[in-house]
Amino acid sequence: MTDSASSAMDTRPASRLSSRSSLRLFLLSNEFGLLVLIIVFAALFHGLANGFLSPFNLFALGRNAAVNILIGLSMMTVLATGGLNLAIGAMGVAAAMACGWLIEGAGLAWPLAVLGGLALGAGLGVTNGWMVVKTGLHSFIITLATMSIFFGAMIFLSQGESYRALPAVFSDLGRARVFTFVSPMFLIAVGTALVLSVLYRYTVQGREMLAAGARPEAAEMSGVRVERTVIACHMLSGLLAALAALLLTARNGAAIPSMAGQLGQDWLLPAFLGPVLGGTLLQGGKVSVLGTCLGAFLVTMLTSGLLLMQVGAFWVQSFLGILLLLAVMIDKGRRSYLRRRNLA
Amino acid sequence: MPSLTRFVRTDWFGPLLACIVAIAIIQSVSPTFLSLANIQVLLLALAVNALIAFSQMIIIAIGQMNLSVGAIGGLAAIAFAGAMEVWGLPAPLAALFGLIIGLACGALNGLLVRISGMSAFVITLATLSIYKGVNLGITEAQAFYGVPQAVKAFGSAVIAGPVPWLVAPTALVAVWLWFMLRRQPVGRFILAVGGNEHAAELSGVSIARTVVTAHAISGLLAALAGILLVARLGVGQPSIGDDWLILSFAAPVIGGAVLSGGSVSVAATLLGVVIVAIITQALVLFSIDPYLTQVILGGLILAAVSFNRLRESRFIGRFGRA
Repeated sequence: MTDSASSAMDTRPASRLSSRSSLRLFLLSNEFGLLVLIIVFAALFHGLANGFLSPFNLFALGRNAAVNILIGLSMMTVLATGGLNLAIGAMGVAAAMACGWLIEGAGLAWPLAVLGGLALGAGLGVTNGWMVVKTGLHSFIITLATMSIFFGAMIFLSQGESYRALPAVFSDLGRARVFTFVSPMFLIAVGTALVLSVLYRYTVQGREMLAAGARPEAAEMSGVRVERTVIACHMLSGLLAALAALLLTARNGAAIPSMAGQLGQDWLLPAFLGPVLGGTLLQGGKVSVLGTCLGAFLVTMLTSGLLLMQVGAFWVQSFLGILLLLAVMIDKGRRSYLRRRNLA
Repeated sequence: MPSLTRFVRTDWFGPLLACIVAIAIIQSVSPTFLSLANIQVLLLALAVNALIAFSQMIIIAIGQMNLSVGAIGGLAAIAFAGAMEVWGLPAPLAALFGLIIGLACGALNGLLVRISGMSAFVITLATLSIYKGVNLGITEAQAFYGVPQAVKAFGSAVIAGPVPWLVAPTALVAVWLWFMLRRQPVGRFILAVGGNEHAAELSGVSIARTVVTAHAISGLLAALAGILLVARLGVGQPSIGDDWLILSFAAPVIGGAVLSGGSVSVAATLLGVVIVAIITQALVLFSIDPYLTQVILGGLILAAVSFNRLRESRFIGRFGRA
């Protein structure tokens, strides 16, 4: 389920690959590797930590995974263009706080407020994309600046106060269980991922996003409006960040300004872990929706397992950092193996 | 007048002009701005912030970025304070210990970037969380309060008038960096690799050694900033460095550093730090909501990069991409 702009123009049709080497290709893919790791660690934690596969822990796992998956997808949509987005946390929290204000301050019904929050996320994304396109500067420095601006404005407007008197529907969503162990939040994240994978695989807009990321000049000459496409990618990123923050609000039962840390920096590591583990290229042009979801799930599972094994909460951050390094190194090894075998 | 045009075109002219204009405006509105007490506050902020900016500047010089500046600074800070409180080391030895940790963390960043061939962004994002995790794992988010009186005294002592002792290490570092980037082979290699890595390699520059050296220097400077901050605060807080990220990029960028590498200026970066300090200070004087500082810092970065871009295409005719 790796969607690549180049696959359509591949000089070697898939049918001419022998079935053995295509099997080897699958076995070497990020997605398969992640699946194996998820199973191995699930077995390991089940053996070592009490209650890892209990319905309640699975439910909690699903809730946390939902947020991490959406954060990862939010970063992935911008990575597809060859850029990155440091402002994900700031945009998400700003959207959730706006939703809180629309309910408590403006007295709107919750569906309208949720729509308002999502619209703000998308709008902030458009702002990022527009500035990246118009200045021609790399998205790193633009989103570094807007991260500070969005977060500062949010804190200034909210004066650092949380919105705690949200309607019951938020906390109900956070508490509800399907089949005793699945959180509906997880289902929302999976549904969003399905929509995205249809977008990248079957729609013109999605293919254009990948083409614009792989080779902007070539895409422009083929009639893709690269500037508009890049802005659309940033908009999608803002929308997904807002959705992630709204789910986090449902889990906490309140919209809290510090829920993504100082300037929203706490979201940066999970945002990159999912896509990088899943095989999304940082140079752009290739994304893997399934890989991002599996990567985010593995990260959530490792965090939960390590905490259950009484590894101090503070050390988990170090483990995740080491995991990102390992993923990068393994990916490098895999790529050079594929190149030696002329498989990629 | 060719000498005047040369003067105008130097990289530090713009920031200097902005600095003077900002000081003049603020002084005319609020006469207490240039009082001795206020200048001392400004210099104290400058001493630490300049080191943070230099730490990022040296990485910008090789065309990369270092997200872990704050994490290294925080780790060195708690190592410094912890070594004095728990092991009872004398302050100079503890400071040396902190600096060595910073140097090692930086060198590790450089090695990993070199070995993996990945963008420094991802590598330093990973090491950021590793260093921060180690910091929190050791301290369990509790501060070290047992900082000796002598260290606290150093943090608040003045050389003469409003000039605090804390400025001395920063000034030495600034002069050393300027000399290194101008005159020493190491500095020239760093700028050459940032300007055009391929050309530098063909000219016999060891890319690996240069990248690792630049990252090690960055770690060392971040550690020094953390240690000075412990002296100033009198406490070894684990949260030191949490808010350095924006700050570290703001000053070099405002000073006109080209993010694609090869072009940085110690003087201009220093002026960038001064501009940020003046504006932050002005917000306090005009009793503007401190929360707005973040917004203004972000706006300054945007304005500066856009202006640099314009300047590049107008005067130098060279397009930087970073």
